[in-house]
Amino acid sequence: MAKKKVAAKKHSASSAHRHEPGQCLDLLRQLSAYIDDELPAEICREIRQHVGTCPKCEIFIVSLRQTVVLCRHRPVPSLKSSDRSALRRAILNRAEA
Amino acid sequence: MALASKKSVRPLPTQEIEEFDKLYRDHVDLMYRYAHRLCGEPEAAKDLVQETFLNAYRGLKSFRGDARFSTWLYTIASRACMRMRHKRKGEPERELSLDEFVPTSEGEIRLQVPMEGLSPEEALQNKELRQALERAIDALPKKYRMVLVLRDMEGISAKEVATIMGLNERAVKSRLHRARLFVRRELSARGVTGQNDYRTGGAR
Repeated sequence: MAKKKVAAKKHSASSAHRHEPGQCLDLLRQLSAYIDDELPAEICREIRQHVGTCPKCEIFIVSLRQTVVLCRHRPVPSLKSSDRSALRRAILNRAEA
Repeated sequence: MALASKKSVRPLPTQEIEEFDKLYRDHVDLMYRYAHRLCGEPEAAKDLVQETFLNAYRGLKSFRGDARFSTWLYTIASRACMRMRHKRKGEPERELSLDEFVPTSEGEIRLQVPMEGLSPEEALQNKELRQALERAIDALPKKYRMVLVLRDMEGISAKEVATIMGLNERAVKSRLHRARLFVRRELSARGVTGQNDYRTGGAR
């Protein structure tokens, strides 16, 4: 079903391609699976063909991919060793109570 | 009074403490990282770590070894986080619908994350982008934030996240997708656009 819709969009994709609510839902639904390489090769090929004709969809995919990359590299501070010891003490005190 | 306080203190068996210490030593940094990514600030993260290891200590005997220690701890931490956040904010859980992410305008379609030509580390040197990312993650309803943190930051497989959160893999993937779409939109809606020069913007 989704395949058919993507394929249909491929044929109609041109300057008339519009992203109205509902129209791109099937493509949108699959984008994370596409980014994560979880889709069958055939569907991937159809999506690639679709985005090849639609720069807007391409930009959407690129920005979603960048969002994932930023999340993966989000900085996180490490625990200070004094906090590590203080936390251990606090946990054991509570366990003892 | 004196009797009551005498009764309430139970000296911990040395063997239990030794077992706990090994678990703590091997996993505290992992759990703090996870807690910080979920809570977004150090004090709440430390509270969550404390709650997690206290529950782990109490449940150590019942741990059957059919999962990895880390999976078990992630599960305890995730449940504790759900409880803590409820208590603290009383926030209602909002569902994210896929429909709300369907772009409806030209501008929205063209939203871009400003990292063209930069490595992610370089892009995140920019304070505005970094803060926008933190705010976007913080604004996520927690059950979506949890999946995003576990999958895209902790690097845990969908199957393991499903075990941790008591969901099926399909639900994990669905939540992850909505969480990513939400963060993408928030990053752009916050005015972090490709028009600013992030090479010169720099961290302050």
